[in-house]
This record gives sequence, structure tokens and C-alpha cells, in this order.
Amino acid sequence: MVKKDYLEEIEGDLDELYIDFLDQYSRTKARRLYNKEVIKLLRPVLVKGLSGSQQLNQYGMFKNYFKSSFRSLKNNTLFSAINMVGLAISMSVGILMILFLSELSSIDDFHTHKDDIYRITSSEVRGTQNQMVKTASSSYYMGLQLEAQVPGIEKTLILDNTRVSFDLKAGDKATPITGFYAGASFFDVLSFKLLQGNPETALTEPNGLVLTQSAAKRLFGDSNPMGQLVSAEQDRFLQTGAAAGVDFKEGIVTGVVQDPPHNSHLQFEMLISLSTLDLRAVQEERDIKNAPGNTNYSVYLVLSENAKKAEIEKAMERMLSNYNTDRADNPLVHNLQPMGDFVTSDTYHSTAPSFSQERIYLMAGLTFIVLLSACFNYTNLSLARALRRSKEVGIRKVTGATRFQVFAQFMVEAVLLSVLAMFAGLVLFVVIRPGILNLAPPSLQGYSMFRLTITPVHLLYFLLFAIAVGAVAGFLPALFHSKLRAGMVFQEVSKVKFFSGVNLRKLLIVFQFTLSIGLIMCAVLINNQYNFALSYDLGYTTDQVITIDIKGDYIDLLENEYAQLSEVVETSKSTWVLGVGGDGLNAGMIQPEDRKGRAISLINHIDERYMDMHELHFLAGSNFLTPLVQGETAKYVIVNEGLLKKLELGSPKASIGKTLWCNGQKVTIQGVVEDMVTIGLTKKFLESFVFIQTNQPDQYKSLNVKVQSNDLGTTFDRLEAIYTAQDPVHPFKAALYNDKIRASYESNRATRTIISFLAFLAISISTLGLLGMAVFTTETRMKEISIRKVLGAGVSHLMVLLSRSFLLLIVIAGLIAIPVTLYIVDSQVLNNFWQRAETGVFETVSGLLIVLLISILTIGWQIRQAAIKNPADLLRNE
Amino acid sequence: MKKTKLGEFEELVLMTVVVLQENAYGVEIKRELESRLNETLSVGSIQSALKRMEEKSFLTSEFGEATQKRGGKRKRIYKATPYAHKVLQDMKDVRTQLWAAMPAAAAKLNFLMN
Repeated sequence: MVKKDYLEEIEGDLDELYIDFLDQYSRTKARRLYNKEVIKLLRPVLVKGLSGSQQLNQYGMFKNYFKSSFRSLKNNTLFSAINMVGLAISMSVGILMILFLSELSSIDDFHTHKDDIYRITSSEVRGTQNQMVKTASSSYYMGLQLEAQVPGIEKTLILDNTRVSFDLKAGDKATPITGFYAGASFFDVLSFKLLQGNPETALTEPNGLVLTQSAAKRLFGDSNPMGQLVSAEQDRFLQTGAAAGVDFKEGIVTGVVQDPPHNSHLQFEMLISLSTLDLRAVQEERDIKNAPGNTNYSVYLVLSENAKKAEIEKAMERMLSNYNTDRADNPLVHNLQPMGDFVTSDTYHSTAPSFSQERIYLMAGLTFIVLLSACFNYTNLSLARALRRSKEVGIRKVTGATRFQVFAQFMVEAVLLSVLAMFAGLVLFVVIRPGILNLAPPSLQGYSMFRLTITPVHLLYFLLFAIAVGAVAGFLPALFHSKLRAGMVFQEVSKVKFFSGVNLRKLLIVFQFTLSIGLIMCAVLINNQYNFALSYDLGYTTDQVITIDIKGDYIDLLENEYAQLSEVVETSKSTWVLGVGGDGLNAGMIQPEDRKGRAISLINHIDERYMDMHELHFLAGSNFLTPLVQGETAKYVIVNEGLLKKLELGSPKASIGKTLWCNGQKVTIQGVVEDMVTIGLTKKFLESFVFIQTNQPDQYKSLNVKVQSNDLGTTFDRLEAIYTAQDPVHPFKAALYNDKIRASYESNRATRTIISFLAFLAISISTLGLLGMAVFTTETRMKEISIRKVLGAGVSHLMVLLSRSFLLLIVIAGLIAIPVTLYIVDSQVLNNFWQRAETGVFETVSGLLIVLLISILTIGWQIRQAAIKNPADLLRNE
Repeated sequence: MKKTKLGEFEELVLMTVVVLQENAYGVEIKRELESRLNETLSVGSIQSALKRMEEKSFLTSEFGEATQKRGGKRKRIYKATPYAHKVLQDMKDVRTQLWAAMPAAAAKLNFLMN
């Protein structure tokens, strides 16, 4: 690249520079800087010009290639458009994949020590089922011991692995907050940016607290948070403060940290000094520093450059030898995990989101198949058009083009088309991008780490990617054309032997259509189940009910005020929302009076109005008769049929008045209701169910309000205004009961959308491929068609004749796809539903029918074109 | 000044070449300038300035010795031509004169800014 005269000097300079870089920085950084320098060398003065006769010639030749490529693309508008669309669709998926992978690999890149940071993981057998549990956490003990005893460890950071959340109060303001207890070296090991405070001492003292910028803003507004006193709110919002048992009571703000970047595996709003925990442990006479078995801490290590991972793992094994002697059959094993694997591997369970390697490979693999399909289509269509262009190639050859030159021309054409398709794909990607970002259900952590932003570097990647795709797609046609012999082309076009792998192509077509049919069926079946789940008879009424999340002890006040609103018909209180689950979802042990049997069952604490408001169907007995006095313990329960069966209590009528032990408390059965949907159609761990009457405000987490309103928006606003007056801290979370149920099936809806999109891709690409095949067949069989026509065959007869073989392929694809898809959907996709919608004939053949219809339209159109041509025109030349 | 056609950056590089004398080759020039200007420069920018000045005959060059560090490649030692020395001197004179004419204007400027 560089002019010859300067080459030696500049190479020498760069070598010298590289060695300098090596002295100063790590190997990777030196490389990067070196490459940057090389790219910066691309200046007109230094770079070799297009001198010499040979180069000039080639330049002119490529110019000609571009020109003729453009012309041929323009002449065959339809052909180019079909190819463009196919490639553009698959390119948009490719672009998505490139962005996804590049963002995935850049997670945690902002840490200066990223390459040297490891965390200790634990593996041991736990629980009654002898399961191997692998976690990304280890013990306080191990962190301290390693730092003190093992060489090669530069820095250690210990973090309490459990995320704490409570309401943080400053002055008369409070806000819900989550975070971690973190060791003093936090800002030394990890590169989070401390905006205020001293990074070395911010987390040293007990009760020191570092807030993120946004949390500080919420709590203190624009005033300076440094040195302010804060406390874990305990007066009013009981469950979130005291009940959670936080070790942090009161503290002082010692720093403000920038909000964690979206691509950080660790997300928090505050950090409390780990010494706070130490202090509590000393006060409570617990020893947390000397318990190798307490693997509830995240230990991060920064290793020095020549430290060996294996040696440190050995050292840890040695340190655990005492601890493991008592449990030789089940030793605790510690390993090191590099920071690059924190998110891209799910071998070890961690609190941060993680993606399994298999899933990443699967996604990349699917993208690859889609792309390959599109490339294959290009090849197919190009070959089909080859007949028309063979004359052009002939003339090129006669005027002296070499084989390589013809090859290059067709490659340039493919690459050009592919690059154009890339831009179209980019536009398509920008259109679907918001959809993709919104797709992930809110419960699925991890996707918030992605922004899918396109940077200039990515554009370069896309361009390279497009060139590669073009090269793959154009290789076979180019090879074919370059092989043509000039003389042959002019003599007898029909004698030229075309691409011989017809069987392979049939196989590929069957494969493509199996995929299309399968995906369409999947989408139809999931949609069917989704609608089924939404219209399923729950066993209680939910219409016009708004449920409001409650986070404090003010539920009675709120209920009274709501009751005064004109649009409110009825109110009731419960621990959790039936049919959805939620925060307060709990279960307990139920035993009959003689304590002979037992049933783990779901428990919902309700008030006396709940059963009537939601119209549950009583089989025997009645609703609770009187409201409980505040503080009075529960005496009565209403159970479902499932519980009676489980505890063998006899018929509903007979069981009324019987005594039960519920979590050790004595209660009487007041009524029996029919079995109903408890926590959605996807989850059914427990058949038995108990409603307990209660009147303790802290047991209620949901206020259910039945409204009669024509303007729900205003109603919500009114409810919110009253709520905010009672609870200024927690945001107003309310939703229509039915919307909430719908939301609980959100992940199924997302799956349906993704699969529909994939099905659309697959069907588009395979249809395009089919079209290519149809064109190819009709063009090569033109003479045959003409002769048949002359001999008296009708248009319809010809169409049947020509499309028969394709339709056969599609039917074969259908025969493969239908049973396979039914099996996969049954055992993998919808296996979590305990009530399944029936699979009718329509759902079974839907995929095949849709594909057949589209194919018939596509082929039919092309074949009709051929069949209505005047046979005389075609036969005249012979 | 126009006829000499020496850009500001080129002038800096040229002066560095004069200062470094026998040691004036690519990376060394880069290092020297970086430490004096307190900013990072790329090899490309230095090299293109050198090549341009060589074309304009401000500089001559010859190959020096090769070192291990350079992967056995020779250095190219640059040397300023007498013409270059003269141009540098000219530019310095023009500047001095301009500075001498400045105080009145500068005082005015200061006044305005306050």
C-alpha cells in the first residue's frame, strides 16, 4: 500500500513504536494503538498511486464492470427487485445479529481491568434432590484468605451477593431503592465513575452509603447529597423496611456515583459499605468472615499479569481442605470466571442477567440459515436467467475477455446487488428496531442491556458483511459463466449444460418449505393457545375491576376514600391477585384436625367482601359472615375442592365446620368453592387452595376496586390522586384486572410475534427461491411447451404439467413439517400450559395451505406467462 | 511568507528536525514533538509532513543504521537544507516584526475583553 521508497522506513518506525506501546500498555491495547496508527497512514502523500499500465487497465475494467452491472440490474428490474427484497430481508436479520453480538461482547468494556478481573464461583451439591448447584458467588472467608495469602492477586473486592431493596428516607422524603453491600475497594477494582466523594474512603466506614446520580436526585433534588443523613424508612411502609430485615438502619451519604452504564452486568441504585454488615455481625455475635460454607458473597479478583488461574484455583482447593474433610462426598469447589464470561455464559447462576452460550449459537445459527437461504436464491435466480445473458458473455469472450475477467464481472454484479440490499436492509432494520426492543417481556431481564445503536464502525462491518454475502451468492453463477465457451453459446443455447445439482436443489427447496410450514404452524398454534388462555373461564368475574398495588399500611384509609367516589361500586382487599400472582403470592402447610395428612396449598388472605365481589362459585357453606376486628386472628377459611380431595375430607357439604391447621393455626372451614384458575394457565404447582379471612393491614398488598365508569382514564386519574396523597413514595401501580391477566401471558405473545416474523422471513425467501426454480424450468422447457401447445395442449393442462413437480415437493415438505411441528410445539413450546386449546384440522393444515396458496400464485403466474406465448415465435429459429 | 509555502505544522516538524540533528528520524521526531506540544500525534501525520517538505526541498534524507528494535529496518535520517534554514530565519523575522507592532493592538484587545 505504501509507496515503495518509503516502505522500509515507515515499517521500521511502526515496529519501534509498537515496542514502545508494549512497554506502556497491555498487549491488546498496544495492538489496537498500532492498528490505529497504520490506518492513519492512509494519506495521499504516502499511499501508492494507481500507477503502472496494469493497474490502470484494471481500474478501467472495474469501471466497466460497474457500468454493465448497473445496466443489467436496471434491465431486469423484476429480477433485481426480487433478489433485493430477499437479500434485504435476510440482511436486516444479519444486521440485527451483528449489532447484538457486538454489543454482547462489549458488555463491561468500560472497566479498566476488564481483562484481568475474575470472580470466584462455587459448585456443590445442595438440597434434597442432590442437585449440583453452581453459583457465581463464594465466601467472605475465601476473599480475605486469598488476598492475604496468595501471590498474584492485585486487588480483591467483596460484595454481598443479595440485592437489598427498601425505602430510603432523608428528611421527610423517601424513595424505594435497591443496591448492594460493597467492599471498600469497589471503585478501585471496578471502573464506575464516582462524581462526588473520595473513591478510596467512600465505602470504608460502617453505614457509609454511595448513591447513584439519579437516586440522589430523587431523594435530594438539586441540593448537595454529600454528608446528608439517611435512614431505612420504618415508620409507615412496614413490609419494605423492617420486615425485609435490612442490616442498614441509618447512615451518611459518602459519595455520588454515575448511574451504571446500560452495558454493565452490575446494576444498582446505591452501595452500602460492607463494613456495615461486619458491624452488625459483631453486634449479633455472628462470625461472617470465617465461614467458608457461607457462599453468599461475590468476590472479584484483579489478577496480575503473570498470575496463573490454575494455581489460584489450586490454592483455593487447599484452603478448603479442612472444610471439605467432613463432607468428602460433597466437596465445595471454587473456580475462577473471567469477566468476559459474566454475561455470555450461564453455567454459574448469578443475580445479573446472563445468556447461555447455546442460545447465542442458536440465534447465530438461525441467522446463518436465513442468510444462506437468501444467497441460495440469488444463485438460483441468476442461473435461471443465465440463458439470457450467455450471449453477452459470449461477446465478451470473443472480444478477448479472460475467464477471470468474466468471473470478476459477475462477482462485482452480485456484490453490488448485495451492497444495495444491505442499505435496503438497514432501512428495514431501522423500521423494525423499536419493535425488537419492545418485544422482550418485562420480566425477562437482560434485554435492557441492549440499545442496538448503529455506529460508523458498525457501518463498516455491515459493508464487509454485504460484500461477503455478495461473494457467496455470486460465486456459482460467476463460475458458471466464466466456464462457458464462446463458440458454444452462439451455436445452440439449449445444449449448454446447466448446473447439474438438480437433486440438491430439490432437497434445499423441501428444506426451505419444511421450515416455512413449520414456522407458520407454530405461530398459528401459539396464537390459538393465547386466545384460548385469554377467554378461558377463570371461575370468577374480573370485569370492570381495577387492582392497585399497595406498599404500606394505609389500605383502610385508601379504601374508605375510594368508597366515596361515585364511580366506585365495590372494593375488596387481598394479598395477591387471583389468576396473576404477584408480590404477595404465598403458600403454606394445611393439615386436618388429627394432623394425619398434609397439603401444601396456595394461600390468599382476603377480606369479607372479596368472595361476593368476584362471584366465586360456592359448592357448600357460605362467605365469611362478619368482618374481623382489626388485629383479631383468623378463625375461618374458605377452601377449594382440590384441598378436600387432597386431605380426604369428604363431600363439600360434609366438610363444612371441620377444623384445619393452617400454618400451625387452628381454623374452621366456612365454605367450599369450585376449583378455579389460581395463577394462570401456565403454572399449576399446587391444586389446593385456601382463602383465609384476615384484617391485618400489612397482609394486604392488593386493593381491588370495582368501578362503573364510562371514562376509565379519568377514573384512573382520580384513584391516583387519592393514592398519591396517602403514599407519595411508591409510584401508583394500577391496572384493569383483565389487562393484568393479559399481561401475564406477555411472554407467549412475544414468542408468537418472533415466530410470526421468522415465518414471514422463511416464506418470503422460500417463495422467491421457488419463483427462481419456476423461471428456470419454464425457460429451459420452452421448446417442449411450444411443441405440446402445437400438438393441442391447453393452457390449463400445461400449467398442471409444469407445476406438478413443485407442488409435490411442497406436499412432501408438509408431510415432514406437520408431525414434527406438532411434536415440538407440544413438548417444547406450549408444554407449560396445563389447559391446552384443542388442535383442530385447520390449525394442523394451516401452514401447508398458506404455503401452497402462495406457491400456486407464484408459479402459476410465471407458468402462465410461458404457456400463453405464441409457439411459432419460439420454434421458428430451429 | 506565501512563496515559501511552509504550513504551521510543517514548520514545527522542520524545527524539530533541526533540533534533533543526527537523530532526526520518524518516531524520534514524533516523540520530541509530542513531548513539546503535549499532545498525541500519529505516524501518518509526521510522515506526510516530512514527505511533503522533502518534495519542496526543505529536507534531504539518507538511510541511517538499523536496530534490533526496528525489526532490522533502517532509519531514514532527515536533514534541513540551507534553504530551509533561510526560510525558518525569514519566518522568525516576520514574526518578530509583527510582535513588535503588537502592543498597541494587544492593549486594545485586553481593554475590550475586560
